Amino acid sequence: MKTISEKILSTRSGTDVTGGDLIAAQVDLVFAHDGTLPLAIQQLGDLKIKYPEKVAVICDHASPSPSERISNVQAMMRKFARSHGIDFYENGDGICHQIVLEKYAAPWKMIIGGDSHTCTHGALGAFATGMGSTDIAATMAYGKTWFRVPESIKVEVSGTLPEKIHSKDVFLELIDRIKADGATYKALEFSGTGITKMSVEARATLTNMAIESGAKVGVCPADEKVKAYLQQYGRGGEFTPLYADDGANYESEVHIKAEEVVPMIAKPHKVDNVAPVADLEGEEIDQVCLGSCTNGRIEDLRAAAQILRGHKSRARLVVYPASRDVLMRAINEGIIGTLLSAGAAVCPPGCGFCIGRTIALGDGEVALSTQNRNYKGRMGNDNAFIYLSSPSTAAASAIAGRITDPRNFGK
Amino acid sequence: MTRIEAEVIRVFPRDTNTDEIIAGKYKYDELDINKLAMHVFESIDPSFYADTKKLKTPIIVAGANFGCGSSREQAPQVLKACGISCIIAESFARIFYRNGYNIGLPLIECKDVSKRVSHGDRLRVDFDEGTLLNVTTHEVYSFKPIPIFMQEILKAGGLINYLKNFGGFTD
Repeated sequence: MKTISEKILSTRSGTDVTGGDLIAAQVDLVFAHDGTLPLAIQQLGDLKIKYPEKVAVICDHASPSPSERISNVQAMMRKFARSHGIDFYENGDGICHQIVLEKYAAPWKMIIGGDSHTCTHGALGAFATGMGSTDIAATMAYGKTWFRVPESIKVEVSGTLPEKIHSKDVFLELIDRIKADGATYKALEFSGTGITKMSVEARATLTNMAIESGAKVGVCPADEKVKAYLQQYGRGGEFTPLYADDGANYESEVHIKAEEVVPMIAKPHKVDNVAPVADLEGEEIDQVCLGSCTNGRIEDLRAAAQILRGHKSRARLVVYPASRDVLMRAINEGIIGTLLSAGAAVCPPGCGFCIGRTIALGDGEVALSTQNRNYKGRMGNDNAFIYLSSPSTAAASAIAGRITDPRNFGK
Repeated sequence: MTRIEAEVIRVFPRDTNTDEIIAGKYKYDELDINKLAMHVFESIDPSFYADTKKLKTPIIVAGANFGCGSSREQAPQVLKACGISCIIAESFARIFYRNGYNIGLPLIECKDVSKRVSHGDRLRVDFDEGTLLNVTTHEVYSFKPIPIFMQEILKAGGLINYLKNFGGFTD
């Protein structure tokens, strides 16, 4: 009886593994971006890339490049990609994780990314985890890497989320319970009727944030919704179902009733510094940020636009769609028009505000963002304050210029 | 490196994150780790870098979950570049732990170490015995032995050298 993680790693290593075992396994995709690839190139030195077709490189973090120095680094990345014949994604194509969800991730795949939020791809049933530049270089050179098989924590979400409550609120509720190191070295395996009812995009918010509790991977079952998601991107053939066995061995279990989840917010400067939005209502904010690999997908923009339609944002509103595909869909659905009419600065797909390299906060400013981290200095200024919330809370708060419970908005 | 004697430069609290170690705003522009290192801990401890120059063998002690957050290898790289010989924490975040060994920076997990050790204490770390002698207080603590695989990576001077020596990963 196996967890999803044990199933994938057993298949890959050709042995019957359980939590705690050390294995070496082939990977299906290794990717890195402008923050992690340059060091990986240094580490690679004269080593060759074993499987160029299994490597992707993305310019997303400082994109479009804001300086000469970064442009030179990105030029070096382009040259590297071209000379090795590996897939390269340009400024404006999107955030690495959204590109990988759309073009590469699939159930049972092993994915290594030079970015901590690589755990996102567990939303499609992949075993996906973030590593540093040396591990990325080693995986590029040898086609495989070593893993310690993680023990799993079962997170069972039951029921249906109320209106204007997002999977982001579910994760903030979860991290409030297990804290920033509650899942260190472990797999967070999400299941239950609440997960079955969630879209793949909403699941990707949960798996994206798994690292915020220290997890190695966050993973959901690969069900019919995963199949439909892959079909939407012309990759239906990559679908194979994947579920944990009944009676699989979990280190611990967390149960969350979807009906009882309320809008949640993470306060500066830690992701597990969580409170219900209701406790902070009325606090002034300067900037609202909609986007990121956590909540920059089409349904996130749709939820925000639904609230913002016909209103002006009192706070500065900045929008970074997660990918070119997301932006195109948002244009076609009229979402971008709604956001622009509300006063938003709509920026090209990329990491943007989240990492603070192409757009930064001022001293003493307060931001409410849909991203995944609110560490001190995260958005480019050590003297700024960052709150994290769902797209609905962000949209309602933008209009009011103050932290606002989206359920009360318009009442 | 079976034994080192070092002075505790700082005792950092739990959940000290990679953005605090090296801010994201610097890492895209600067590929020279020695120059990047000048910004180490800038947002929470601006005198840290200067203080590393005053000690012969500085060592960091920390609470649980040291190095949480980003996968940026620049975090252990800048600490190594400014002379940190070893980090002893109650626990480490997973990616930081791998990154540390991959670049040849030993990381040791020791229960309650942030409560038992103070800034300025002299420590003698015995990697073979798995013991930590606090020369200042005369206390001895034991720590989790470093896995053999990690010791071999350290001995080789990092993961890439290890793999070159062994011709890749063994199955």
